[in-house]
Amino acid sequence: MTLLTAINALAALLILTSISVVSTSSVRSAAIRYAIQSVVLVIAFVVLGFAHEARELFIWAGTATLTKVIGVPALLLFMLKKVGQAEAEGTGKGIKMGSLSLPGNIPVGGLVAISACEVALCLVVVNGVELPVAQGVKPALALSLAHFFIGVTCIVSQNNILKQILGFCLMENGSHLTLALLAPGAPEMVEIGVTTDAIFAMVIMALLAYRIYKTQHTLDARDLTELKG
Amino acid sequence: MSISTVMIGMVLLPLVLSIVMAALPAKSSKVVFEGMNLASLLVILVCAIILAVPVVNGASMGVSSLTGASGTLPDAATAAGMVAQVGVISPGGWLRVDPLSLVFVCLIAVIGLLVGIYSVGYVRHDLEDGKIDASKVKTFYAFYQLFIFTMLLAATTNNIIMMWVAIEATTLGTVFLVGIYGSKLALEAAWKYVIICATGVAFGLYGVLLVYSNAAQILGDAHAAAFWTSVLPVASQLDPTLMAVAFVFTLIGFGTKAGLFPMHTWLPDAHAEAPSPVSALLSGVLLKCAVLVIVRFYIVASIAVGFRFVSLVCIILGGLSIVVGAFFIFAQRDFKRKLAYSSSENVGVIVLCLGFGGIGILAALIHCVAHAFVKALMFCLSGNLLMKYHTRDLDKISGVIEAAPVTGVLMFLGLLALSGFPPFAMFWSEIFTVFAGLGAGQYVVVALVVIALTVVIAAFALTINSAVFKHKPEGMKTKELGPVVLVPEIILLCVVLWLGVCTPPAVTNTLRQAGTDVQLLISGANGVQGVQDSDSVQSVEIPVVYDQDGIATTPAAGVTQ
Repeated sequence: MTLLTAINALAALLILTSISVVSTSSVRSAAIRYAIQSVVLVIAFVVLGFAHEARELFIWAGTATLTKVIGVPALLLFMLKKVGQAEAEGTGKGIKMGSLSLPGNIPVGGLVAISACEVALCLVVVNGVELPVAQGVKPALALSLAHFFIGVTCIVSQNNILKQILGFCLMENGSHLTLALLAPGAPEMVEIGVTTDAIFAMVIMALLAYRIYKTQHTLDARDLTELKG
Repeated sequence: MSISTVMIGMVLLPLVLSIVMAALPAKSSKVVFEGMNLASLLVILVCAIILAVPVVNGASMGVSSLTGASGTLPDAATAAGMVAQVGVISPGGWLRVDPLSLVFVCLIAVIGLLVGIYSVGYVRHDLEDGKIDASKVKTFYAFYQLFIFTMLLAATTNNIIMMWVAIEATTLGTVFLVGIYGSKLALEAAWKYVIICATGVAFGLYGVLLVYSNAAQILGDAHAAAFWTSVLPVASQLDPTLMAVAFVFTLIGFGTKAGLFPMHTWLPDAHAEAPSPVSALLSGVLLKCAVLVIVRFYIVASIAVGFRFVSLVCIILGGLSIVVGAFFIFAQRDFKRKLAYSSSENVGVIVLCLGFGGIGILAALIHCVAHAFVKALMFCLSGNLLMKYHTRDLDKISGVIEAAPVTGVLMFLGLLALSGFPPFAMFWSEIFTVFAGLGAGQYVVVALVVIALTVVIAAFALTINSAVFKHKPEGMKTKELGPVVLVPEIILLCVVLWLGVCTPPAVTNTLRQAGTDVQLLISGANGVQGVQDSDSVQSVEIPVVYDQDGIATTPAAGVTQ
């Protein structure tokens, strides 16, 4: 197996893990699955680093291990502990949390079908891209783009705020893989900047979600609809 | 101290102050936070003025040497090379201030300081009212400085990926300011703000990456390809199909932050629920920073794809923002939401102007400046109303001119300025918009826009009639707000009037240089003479004339002098 084939295979594994994150009924389980997905992403960075002989990608793999594999899941699990598992998953008494097992009105099967369509569409679109850096990793590029859209789908289809945060994290993983694929030699400062932004975004969303929970006793996005845009 | 040190210091100072404020105990006197905030903003303004001198002088010299006596336009590569050399650049090329970014740096510096002064009175009032406690005062000023830092970074960064990072950071730096009151609605607005903007701006990253990747392939240097000044000279060699996709992604991404329809939905919620000084900065300056990044990619896409495609996308999104925004402005009874929809509508005007090309580019820059000052003024005035009437509901606000005469006069004149009445600055930019549209042959679009702007005038005229005039509520005493609140508002109104009546030469020169740079780049690539894309001639034919010094200018720039 060549390095580029390995990258394509890892990208496919990322899609499977993201569908697994989206379809699980438990936030705890979703956080753990997200950590596993981040391990896959880190391996992809390392393999890409060898393929392009890019030192920057090894540094990025290190920071991603700290932030995505450990930091983000730990923060989510800490949030769960603060909020209480039962409440976070909508089974607490008197507290509205938004459904998890059947997000919004879309059943899990529907989400998987939507994800499959997104993958197919991205494969078609990326097939027309003629960039030397993308040669050999077009499937991975398409899958990273699809990963981004699966994250967007998760955000718009979930009522639970914590799952919306996870949707954002999926989006970030997709865009970071795209960045690694298309800009393997970008300055370290850029990659650190992008990663730092993503982590700060995640932390800020988690803090905001906690404040919403503390003041409004809800983690259900349907309870946040008084403002009409 | 070198000029690039001044630039770096200007950008980093608010970040340092933000960290220092965050480290101070919450029980520290509010005067400490106010003093640090104002001192920092004053230093930033001084730095911006110091930067302006070499940037404007250097730009003039560059353009004149290129256009010279022949009066012919340079080709894309020559123009790009010249524009890339103009301005102040930091060691390593990470930060850069050219005439285009200077416009936005000055907006941040001037409006940041004036709104900072206004904040003193507003935050003290909120503290006395019990809306916030001492710890929130610290939060407000620490995040205010962080907000200024992120905007300065967005305006000065020369690295295209850092442009995305900076715009994303503006969201993260302001989300706690939007939700500072901690009420249900404030937290809801903050949540929508962060989730919509973070998701939307992520689309921008894809656009940036496509540009970067394609540039890296052509330049053969992965590090250089991240810099806008390196991408610009090779923009004509970028893959047109990829760049078309990249431009759409960047317009969606950064357009979300700018408040373009249909990605504008965060804007009325966040603007309405945030403290009024924050709304003033969000609408007055932050939206313009996103516009600056759009302009950067608009230039690259115009060169790579051809102006026709870029123009079409801008006209569609800009036109829709104006038309939809106008009717929302008319329907709203919440004053701050009305102003927020007006922001979406005015960003639409700016993007539409970019779509028209020619003098539209200058009109877009003038509109950026004029709208920034007017909207900062109006959101500060909305704070006056909140302090006086304790509501944003226009059905409950009447007789402002009786209840608080100075605020009433400011509101009357401010609403006239926002409606685009002469002699205020927005009148000129809207007139140039119409001229640019007619020049580009977009008669139907111009007709629709004029109708929409008439609806806006009607909406604000009704607001003037009901809120400013009529009688004040029974039992309300006539009492004006303090000078700390009123003085910055009076200065903002004076600036709006000054820009409309007799624009200072320094402002005219900066705007003209910035507009000319963009025009030269686009016309150089699409070719007013020797056109590559013959279909785009009509759109890009720019009425460029050359003054006695050989400086490229336009009739519009002449009018504003």
